[in-house]
Amino acid sequence: MELGIQPDYMKILKLDDEEVKRRFDFFELTEEDFRRLTELKSFANRCTQEITEGLYELIMNHPESRAFFPDEATLSRVKRMQNAYFLHLFSGTYDLNYVRDRLRVGAAHERIGMPPKLYLGAYRRYLALIHERLLDHFKGNEAESIKALETIRKIIFFDMALAFDTYIAAYLETMTRHQAAIRELSTPVIKVYDRILLLPIVGTVDTQRANQIMETVLVQVVEQQARVIIIDIAGVPVVDTKVADHILQTTAAVQLLGAQTVLTGISASVARTVIQLGVELTRVDTRAKLSEGIELALSIIGKKIASKKKRDPEDED
Amino acid sequence: MSSGTIPILKIGPTLLATIQVDLHDTVVDAFQNDVLEEIEKTGSSGLIIDISALETVDSYVARTLANTGKMAKLMGTETVIVGMRPAVAATLVRMGYFMSGIRTALSLQEGLELQAERLQKPESE
Amino acid sequence: METLLASDEPGNAEAWEIRIDKEADIIAIRQLVRELTKQHKFDQFASAAMTTATSELSRNVWVHAKSGVARVVVLRGGSRIGLEVVFVDHGPGIADLPRVLAGGYSTANSLGLGLSGTRRLVDEFSVDTEPGRGTTIVIRKWKKEF
Repeated sequence: MELGIQPDYMKILKLDDEEVKRRFDFFELTEEDFRRLTELKSFANRCTQEITEGLYELIMNHPESRAFFPDEATLSRVKRMQNAYFLHLFSGTYDLNYVRDRLRVGAAHERIGMPPKLYLGAYRRYLALIHERLLDHFKGNEAESIKALETIRKIIFFDMALAFDTYIAAYLETMTRHQAAIRELSTPVIKVYDRILLLPIVGTVDTQRANQIMETVLVQVVEQQARVIIIDIAGVPVVDTKVADHILQTTAAVQLLGAQTVLTGISASVARTVIQLGVELTRVDTRAKLSEGIELALSIIGKKIASKKKRDPEDED
Repeated sequence: MSSGTIPILKIGPTLLATIQVDLHDTVVDAFQNDVLEEIEKTGSSGLIIDISALETVDSYVARTLANTGKMAKLMGTETVIVGMRPAVAATLVRMGYFMSGIRTALSLQEGLELQAERLQKPESE
Repeated sequence: METLLASDEPGNAEAWEIRIDKEADIIAIRQLVRELTKQHKFDQFASAAMTTATSELSRNVWVHAKSGVARVVVLRGGSRIGLEVVFVDHGPGIADLPRVLAGGYSTANSLGLGLSGTRRLVDEFSVDTEPGRGTTIVIRKWKKEF
């Protein structure tokens, strides 16, 4: 089994002895089942090659699944692993190690990008192949073969659940990373000058984003000890009462900290909407253009932008 | 310098109170008492309340601190609250509490500067 | 102050019950909730919000009913983690609940319960009250998934 660098699924999925026991209970896997599986070890040893071949016959007959096994080397390695997987079903020890091993299998399939439909379809074929051979093995004794099939079905479903857990855990992991990245990109607080921050807001602002913007703004203002933060809303497509309220909440919080907000990027239509809606923006400094906001921010901290004197072409300076 | 659990230091014309304990009503009430007594005793023209150690400030504490500032103002003392944490500011505005009537600053240094300014040119705020 | 661990409820990992009989109990409940938010790695804003809401509601019980109980429970819903606090008292109850919930901001009004403000700090908020019978308030905050 490959190891490599992979997330600790046991931890992510909170798979401890208790959880495993809960799963065994729900899948109705009992000591009797475990015993029966151990007794079927010789059966397994005998049939594993055939069953693997039968499974890969299906896989190689369909272009979608075949694509995952482009060459002979890959195919034979995978068939070997499949044999090992099958035999492990009848290993006799069903504990955290068994679970960890099953997770690795699921993770491996997720890593190569095998879609659930193929994974499930393969399991279905697997069960069918096992069923055939069980009937043969217990020839005549139908009752025993039914019991055996039932037990095997339980452990295979148990395994499938673990495989799906790895798929889901992997997706969650990716989403978490993406979300973190998106959050960083969507609230870029820039230091434009000592004690002056700038936050250009681009795109729609819903409640969740507004909350996140406020939190980022407050953290940055304190971290950077900013006296002024310029919030530019030229890139916000719609400014209605809700958005205005969110912005006001942020400016109120900034004021509570002891800093000031300058709101810029107020277009003619936004100005009209805000007043018509009766939103009280009079207590916040606002400007139409970002450049004006920067000038205002500078004056608040006691600085200003001045033109350099025209240089005499003969001066070296 | 004070009888309570919150130390109040005198730095020139200013009193500096640093709150580092988890505040409950009795403590914050006692603090208000102590501070006003200190102002009376020392005749300080400035009061700085440092809340940078506070992770939570509920409405009672916020109201009491704001009132303390107003009471100090009646005695001629300018109050500035410094060091408010981001989560405290967010929580207060989300509750709808804006602590009006009291000045805030990001740091002790800024608080002192602010006070110096206001003492030079008293505004009606 | 009693601290019970009750693990008989299905799906609940940990639960505490703290009586509110004296002012010190408010601090105890607040500290417990703060500890739990940190233990389960809620972000600073969620932690402050839940701790403050707890403080506000505990104080309400203490001020208006003089006696009551708070039950703190760690919730596990699938992969999510949340905190729940239930405040129960047999105090005077809240008359005209709709007005109180809609009510502006809790400022100088000494009888102000600040419920409308507190409600904005949590994800789930429910009030069951009847004048003369008492009040039960449930608040829940879920840890942000991403």
